[in-house]
Amino acid sequence: MKLNEVVTKLKLQQVTSFAKLDMVVQGGYVSDLLSNVMGQAKPGMIWVTMQGHHNIAAVGSLIGLAAIIVAGDAKVEQDAIEKGNDNDLPIFVTALSSYDIVGALNKLGVTNEQEKK
Amino acid sequence: MKELLADFHIHSLLSPCAEVEMTPHHIILRAAQYGIGAVAITDHNASGNIPAALEAGAQYGIVVLPGMEVECAEEAHIVVLFDTMEQMDAWQQIIDASRSGLKNVPEKFGGQFVVDAEDNFIREEEKMLLGSCRLTAAEVVDKCHALGGICWAAHIDKRAYSLLTQLGFIGSSLQIDGAEISRNSLAELSDKKLKPLVDNKPYLTNSDAHMIDDFIHGPKNLLRVEQVNTTEIKKALQNIGGRSLQPGAFVTEKV
Repeated sequence: MKLNEVVTKLKLQQVTSFAKLDMVVQGGYVSDLLSNVMGQAKPGMIWVTMQGHHNIAAVGSLIGLAAIIVAGDAKVEQDAIEKGNDNDLPIFVTALSSYDIVGALNKLGVTNEQEKK
Repeated sequence: MKELLADFHIHSLLSPCAEVEMTPHHIILRAAQYGIGAVAITDHNASGNIPAALEAGAQYGIVVLPGMEVECAEEAHIVVLFDTMEQMDAWQQIIDASRSGLKNVPEKFGGQFVVDAEDNFIREEEKMLLGSCRLTAAEVVDKCHALGGICWAAHIDKRAYSLLTQLGFIGSSLQIDGAEISRNSLAELSDKKLKPLVDNKPYLTNSDAHMIDDFIHGPKNLLRVEQVNTTEIKKALQNIGGRSLQPGAFVTEKV
């Protein structure tokens, strides 16, 4: 599934400024411990977190994530938005909790099945 | 220049997770017995027992600096240190204004007691002291510095409440004065594996004691300064003008 389809269906609000969101989403990961995300998330994944610190953009671009969703109306630092823009990493926000947004992603078919095979 | 053992991260019985034996007077008494020249009482988001520690410290000739272990919005612990109770009172107001307002549940989290310098009960703190405040790590550091204090990332090697664990790494934009290594990972003092991840901040070690045995036997710092104050400690962390702070020091006196 392509990122723009996920964004439309889940009504995600982008805080970075990318027009083209046609990358394929390769599954997802959820954690608020960035040290854990660095070791566990894979390229092309969507990462759901409540951390809005600017390190999320550094970690996300290091891994090569498709996007970050900051859940639960958590505030995204301006530095994180700028770093996202500088590193080709779209960042979205949603009022839904991490639990709900991950559930919605699963229902859409964004799963890690591909990886497990 | 003077040289002394210093432990700047100690919990009193105001922290719900600390034992009731951790009264300011008891901590200061043990410091005097075991040759620990300077201490800081650093309760979770609270400073209520520092006046008693200052009083007991004056009585026993132990330097007490007002401190606090703050939990920032990223759910990591930062220890702040000041020179005076006036600075700490101003700091406490900043923290109080950015807290949840939840009440403590003593049966689940532990009691939170304020006492005087003779171990007499004064009051029980009803606010929940555990939990994060709304200030980000950067805001904690900047506001602490603005008040004239110093601060460091607490127990960066631990899995919980560590800036390193929460944020993956500490970048150069965070103007924090040091990084604390817990008793669990003293090998890190020579291995320095985490150093590149914390922007090469200077290391320090403190007991982070929640009970008296841990305070006596936990790691401290050998501090070499003109006077024990935050300006001098900052210079010691940066090895300026013959001052130094050597982590991984322990008490040698037998009582």
